Amino acid sequence: MLPCKKCAFSFSTKELKSNCFYFCVLCVYILCYTECYLGRYNDDFDDGEDLAEFDDNDFAEFEDVNEDPTVEVESEPPPKPAPSSIPVEDDEDEATVEIEDGQDEFEDADAQVSDMYSKYDKDEFEGYEKTNSPFKDTLIYQDVPAHLQNSWESYYMEILMVTGLLAYIMNYIIGKNKNSRLAQAWFNSHRELLESNFALVGDDGTSKEATSTGKLNQENEHIYNLWCSGRVCCEGMLIQLKFLKRQDLLNVLARMMRPTCDQVQIKVTLNDEDMDTFVFAVGSRKAMSRLQKEMQDLSEFCGDKPKSGAKYSLPDSLSILSEMAEVSDGVMDSKMVHYITNHADKIESIHFSDQFSGPKVMQEEGQPLKLPETKKTLLFTFNVPGMGNTSPKDMDSLVPLMNMVIYSIDKVKKLRLNREGKLKADRNRARVEENFLKQTHAQRQEAAQTRREEKKRAEKERIMNEEDPERQRRLEEAAQRREQKKLEKKQMKMKQIKVKAM
Amino acid sequence: MTECRCFGAVAHYKPPSTDSNPTLEDPTPDYMNLLGMIFSMCGLMLKLKWCAWIAVYCSFISFANSRSSEDTKQMMSSFMLSISAVVMSYLQNPQPMSPPW
Repeated sequence: MLPCKKCAFSFSTKELKSNCFYFCVLCVYILCYTECYLGRYNDDFDDGEDLAEFDDNDFAEFEDVNEDPTVEVESEPPPKPAPSSIPVEDDEDEATVEIEDGQDEFEDADAQVSDMYSKYDKDEFEGYEKTNSPFKDTLIYQDVPAHLQNSWESYYMEILMVTGLLAYIMNYIIGKNKNSRLAQAWFNSHRELLESNFALVGDDGTSKEATSTGKLNQENEHIYNLWCSGRVCCEGMLIQLKFLKRQDLLNVLARMMRPTCDQVQIKVTLNDEDMDTFVFAVGSRKAMSRLQKEMQDLSEFCGDKPKSGAKYSLPDSLSILSEMAEVSDGVMDSKMVHYITNHADKIESIHFSDQFSGPKVMQEEGQPLKLPETKKTLLFTFNVPGMGNTSPKDMDSLVPLMNMVIYSIDKVKKLRLNREGKLKADRNRARVEENFLKQTHAQRQEAAQTRREEKKRAEKERIMNEEDPERQRRLEEAAQRREQKKLEKKQMKMKQIKVKAM
Repeated sequence: MTECRCFGAVAHYKPPSTDSNPTLEDPTPDYMNLLGMIFSMCGLMLKLKWCAWIAVYCSFISFANSRSSEDTKQMMSSFMLSISAVVMSYLQNPQPMSPPW
């Protein structure tokens, strides 16, 4: 407790008692203020007075007081209330209390507290910075975890997935129905023509006897088959309606990038006597170059590049692959040219071959040891108009093409090569066979060697398994004799070859 | 018009053998079936929700491209496996799926 310099007091003995009371009040006040304003000092104490001059007397502050009315009022409250703030009750006239300032603080204690901040000298305190909200900036608001939010919006990915699945299912139903309607429309428009030309229309192959079902056989949601048989000049005709995969949404989206069209493939298999030996193909340029690479017979017998059909007045979009010119002249008669010219946009490829074995089969272990089986076949591939956006009405435009197929079957039956052409064709087939045998010679030798070794091993095993030792001995001798004979034969052959060479 | 039909020369339909021409067969349903099973196992073992959802899509695509002659049991087993993968992954972790971005 330091004496207040601003206040002047003078007391008598009676006054001393009253002053004790006031001193206690003062102490209480000092304790309250030191808790709130610890470390803050009133500038009153910085005036440079020597504090040691004051007595230890508790009332020293009241004895020596330097009046300085010019001292400015301090803006910050002192750690203890100023002596001048003590409420004074003058019981006697002699007591004079001069209070310079601060008395108002004691009259209204609440007002004093609220005015504390306003009276602080900012320079008095170092390192003290007022902040309005010291803790608000450091608060971090964590988001409530999504699964505790109880809202459907957080599951938007799942909703998207389910929506995609529903869209796929809807597209499947719509696509499947469209393909089915297109197939039925095709069959309805072609039924009469087929039933007038074939005894059997529609056979699924399940029943023991060949009975006409009179309807398409559904292989897939986008592929429909129809087997027709019972006609002169041919064994049978398989019609495949290869529609677009409208039931698969991925395929629908892929088709948006690369449009394709529905196709009708017709494969007529002929008997041996129904066709002469020749290979011929006509179709769009792209299809011809593709078929020449893919098909076994076209690559072997029609080695030349596809030729233009201008000679036969065909459109420039079409080209011809032929084994010999005579075949082209024979096939491309006026009616055939008329059919092809009028429906050039719908024709993908027409392929006549007596050596048809399908596409080339690539085997990893080497070439096949046997020539592939061949069949006399007429193949037709037609594009359905509409480029994917086909309607059932478009199927009627394919009827003339079916007429062309029927005409071709009869035409091929009548077409016969002359003697020169026949010889050339036979030479071609012999050449192809010889080439094949040469290429497979090594493999065939190895296969024969393997077979011989297997035979020997089987015989030895049989001899070993024989229980009777006498019989065993006889079998061994017989085997040795056989080996010896074979060796002698080989030596004889070698001698003969040497003699011939000489 | 002369009669072209020959009732005595009727040939029975033989479905084309797929062994002789494997290139003609569409491999999509088989690939999708296999993919669906792989994704289902990944979704179940690794508890990845997006794997399970893709497995469901693969089984749907396989079904849409399948042939009529194919065994429906194979399709159903693939489908059930993918559904179980989705259900199990959500039972273990009910949190919604987070997008990869």
